[in-house]
Amino acid sequence: MRFRTLMYVLSFQLAFFVLSFHASRAWIWLPFSPAVLFLETATGFETMASELTGEGIKASAPALIVGKSGVKHEFAFALLPDSGKVKIVVDTELSVKEVDEMKVLKFYVKVFDTGPEKAVLCVSPKLSERASALAKEYQLVILENEVPKKLIPMASELVRGMVEKK
Amino acid sequence: MKEVKKRTFPLHYAPGKELFQIVVKLSDEPGSYSSILELLSSKVNLIGTTTYSLSDGTAMFSGFAESIVKGQGPKDLEKLIDASKAAMEVVVASGKDGLLVDTFHTGIVVDDEDYMLFRRDGLTHMFDHVAKTLGSGGEALLYQEGYTLSQRNAEDMFNLLGSERVKAQVGVLRRLLSAQGWGVLSSKTSEKDGSFSVEVRDCFECSEGAKSRTGCNFMRGYLTGAVEKVYGFTAVSTEVKCVLKGAPACVFSITQKKL
Repeated sequence: MRFRTLMYVLSFQLAFFVLSFHASRAWIWLPFSPAVLFLETATGFETMASELTGEGIKASAPALIVGKSGVKHEFAFALLPDSGKVKIVVDTELSVKEVDEMKVLKFYVKVFDTGPEKAVLCVSPKLSERASALAKEYQLVILENEVPKKLIPMASELVRGMVEKK
Repeated sequence: MKEVKKRTFPLHYAPGKELFQIVVKLSDEPGSYSSILELLSSKVNLIGTTTYSLSDGTAMFSGFAESIVKGQGPKDLEKLIDASKAAMEVVVASGKDGLLVDTFHTGIVVDDEDYMLFRRDGLTHMFDHVAKTLGSGGEALLYQEGYTLSQRNAEDMFNLLGSERVKAQVGVLRRLLSAQGWGVLSSKTSEKDGSFSVEVRDCFECSEGAKSRTGCNFMRGYLTGAVEKVYGFTAVSTEVKCVLKGAPACVFSITQKKL
């Protein structure tokens, strides 16, 4: 939650900068700032979770999951079990350039500790070649799109598909 | 007497001082060590010394010293010690610009095991970097590393002492971690549920502060792994108090996992 607060602060700081310095052209970048994009996707996952919860499926966004190590991990979204193994965890990596392998590794160590049935990393714009190869090796599901907002329906479709299968 | 941290001397810096490292292979005769000390007493001020036995029955004396005789060089000291019956071999090296580094030893051996010194500060920064790069996953990784290390150490201890003796000597073995600078450990066992509460004062993992970590996960993993190995059950652990969160000492609670 602290990270989200930081993102809010960053968004407001950018808006403040625009207003204070009359940098009118900077407004153009406001919707594309990582902070704003993060907020958009975070809200998207929250909506997705509340819809699923309304249908009687246990989902949370963001989701705090305690791993085997006892460390708490935060995911953007998770489909939680009534008991036993976490069904699905979803995280996002939004960037202005290709997402590198360290971000995949960062996600993987959380996944390794929490041991879900499926792990999905939503990436915008896309993974680098090395990151892609690593994700494949770690059997992570990767969703890529240049428009971050479009990742929400993609993830939603995947999650629903998994729920219906069961 | 109050407990203190042991001083070892791979390095000594004293600007303006004339420094020497004196290494003597002592003969296997009573009084060899004291006769060397007596010889040196009017020539140098010993900062720190160590002695240890070698497998061939001889012993080694090694010391860092400040000269108290003006113009005295390493060769003068070598000559002085070499003339003694107590010395079989002698090497004296001098420092430069107030800096003296141990140029004789090539590592540390503890009970036939190779050891190395590592700055606490360096280790905690390394841990911090892992957590900074990998986030909460990095902290989980540190837990796993601690857990795996303790399982391996416990296995070695079982091979050395036998499992029953290890169980009986847990209190003494805990002191081994303290002597190695991990922190001062004390533990209590709850009569209610058999859970352990382990307090670590001066815990190495957080003693130098942390920017990216939320607690002492390596230490927690180490203690959990040790409890599991020694008592033979699957354990769950939490860090109840941590110096990073303002507590005077770190406290870990380790309980048997309910299946």
